[in-house]
Amino acid sequence: MAIVAQQTKFSKIFWPVLAWFIALIFFFPIFWMVLTSFKTDADAVKPEFLFTFKPTLENYLNMTANYDYWRFATNSVITSVFATGFALAVGVPCAYAMAFNPSRATKDVLMWMLSTKMLPAAAVLYPMTFLTKNFLGVFDTKFLVIVVLSLINLPIVIWMLFTYFKEIPKEIIEAGKMDGVSTWGEIKDILLPLAWGGLASTALLTFIFCWNEAYWTVRLTTTEAATLSKLIEGNRAPEGLFFGRLSAVSAAAVGPIIVLGWFCQKQLVQGLTFGAVK
Amino acid sequence: MSKRTLPRLLQTPAVILLLIWMLIPLGMTLYFSFIRYVLNNLRRPEWTTPSLSNWRGFGNYEYVLFGAKDFWFAVKNSVFIVSSIIVLTVVLGLAIAVLINRSFPGRGIVRVLLISPFFVMPAVNAVLWINMILDPVLGLQGLAVSGINELVAGLRDAPLIGWFFSLWPEIEPISFRATQTSAYAVIIMVTWQWTPFAVLIFMTSLQSEDQQQKEAAILDGAGAWAQFRFLTLPHLARPVAIVVMIQAIFHLSLYAEIEIVSRGNGNKNLPYLIGEFASNNIGAASATGIFAVILANIVAIFLLRMVGKSLME
Repeated sequence: MAIVAQQTKFSKIFWPVLAWFIALIFFFPIFWMVLTSFKTDADAVKPEFLFTFKPTLENYLNMTANYDYWRFATNSVITSVFATGFALAVGVPCAYAMAFNPSRATKDVLMWMLSTKMLPAAAVLYPMTFLTKNFLGVFDTKFLVIVVLSLINLPIVIWMLFTYFKEIPKEIIEAGKMDGVSTWGEIKDILLPLAWGGLASTALLTFIFCWNEAYWTVRLTTTEAATLSKLIEGNRAPEGLFFGRLSAVSAAAVGPIIVLGWFCQKQLVQGLTFGAVK
Repeated sequence: MSKRTLPRLLQTPAVILLLIWMLIPLGMTLYFSFIRYVLNNLRRPEWTTPSLSNWRGFGNYEYVLFGAKDFWFAVKNSVFIVSSIIVLTVVLGLAIAVLINRSFPGRGIVRVLLISPFFVMPAVNAVLWINMILDPVLGLQGLAVSGINELVAGLRDAPLIGWFFSLWPEIEPISFRATQTSAYAVIIMVTWQWTPFAVLIFMTSLQSEDQQQKEAAILDGAGAWAQFRFLTLPHLARPVAIVVMIQAIFHLSLYAEIEIVSRGNGNKNLPYLIGEFASNNIGAASATGIFAVILANIVAIFLLRMVGKSLME
């Protein structure tokens, strides 16, 4: 290819080295956090222990004693899983109907749904506190966190599923109908196998967004339903004394999500640009 | 059951839930923004319950715009933070996306390393940067600065070149906990988190670039810069616009980072100001909220138009 032939020896070495260098810089803070998590709190702030230190698992073993980590982690898992499930349960039928039986209003409904995502959360902070505290009595419950997380992600779920379903050729469904397949059979035997990948990656991405959410989970909880965001936010200024243990709890909070994220890079583009970048 | 009934039925739950989610809180914000409503006021206890008899008209808006000293600062600061982040992420994102668009050894790993910051939860991002990296004493910044100072101090006693280093100043570390510097800290950490997003979008778009056109340009003797300027850049106009707008919407409601980095030091944006008002003056908080909605909508309209065009293709 012409482009390859054009490369000089210099550019063959220089650009990849630069790319690696930049990638390592971007990854460095995460690496640093993980490295620090294996240092004692005392070692973590000593320059002479920058890279040479005696690694310890102490910080991870003491996460429960230091931060009650598992209580927050359990809340994060429960709320994220159920919120994702609920958003899919409501979103799948909706996106299915929109993709396979579009009406003239479909486009407007989709745009309106997306616009709800663009409302700044802070604008409705007090009404939400008021309603959940004084009126419904659900403040600081996992139920509330699940409902809120699924509603803020519902537009993205519907939007992503819609773009996936739209790619499935209608003829296949029509052929099924001709053969007398029921609606349920149509979904189970024809649609699901085809849409499986889209469903899985939508679920994965929704789970990540739920896990990382840091406005409502902080403002609408105190102790009972507090998630990992709340735990970290509560330890915002450790006075330098606890870098080791704080790193461990942070690494435990973001590690699994980063790994999950590696698997859904492509879907991220679809999901966050609403299909406008291909 | 008619042909239209089932699809409508399937859409109903989602539509109703989103309607409730949007209309009720927003309606309440609108209502509170027109009445006198405070949580604590011993002299005027009637203001502590929301009621139409406390109607204030546009009084809260007037108070927020002209009476409260922080509103304009928060607006300017919001715009400053958001636009700085956008400029930095777009420029860095473009450069990095072009850089890793060609194939080279370990490209897959480079991609994985680069995308990782985007999945770090905002709270961890802020705590990690402000304490372990940017802290002037105990963070990496502090360690680096004192390391350099020690090195220079050692070199002052060196023969022959000692005089040179004796003229060097002691470097002072920067504290990122003051009002303005903590805004810089927020910009740095959010840029770190969102540059990967820009890279990802631009890279996806670069892969759909017309390669034949590019080869033709090369045959015609176009240099690397000319290719980028006249082929790649126009191709990227749309993704750039989308990255700008999505980030504007997300970062206008930036909260966790500000809360963690600058609690109480005066650095605030609109969401943070709303939070401050909401600890007592609900009327003012609601009026500020309505302003925030208007600001976000200005951006959102452009984005929705652009997305809408590609919707039914």
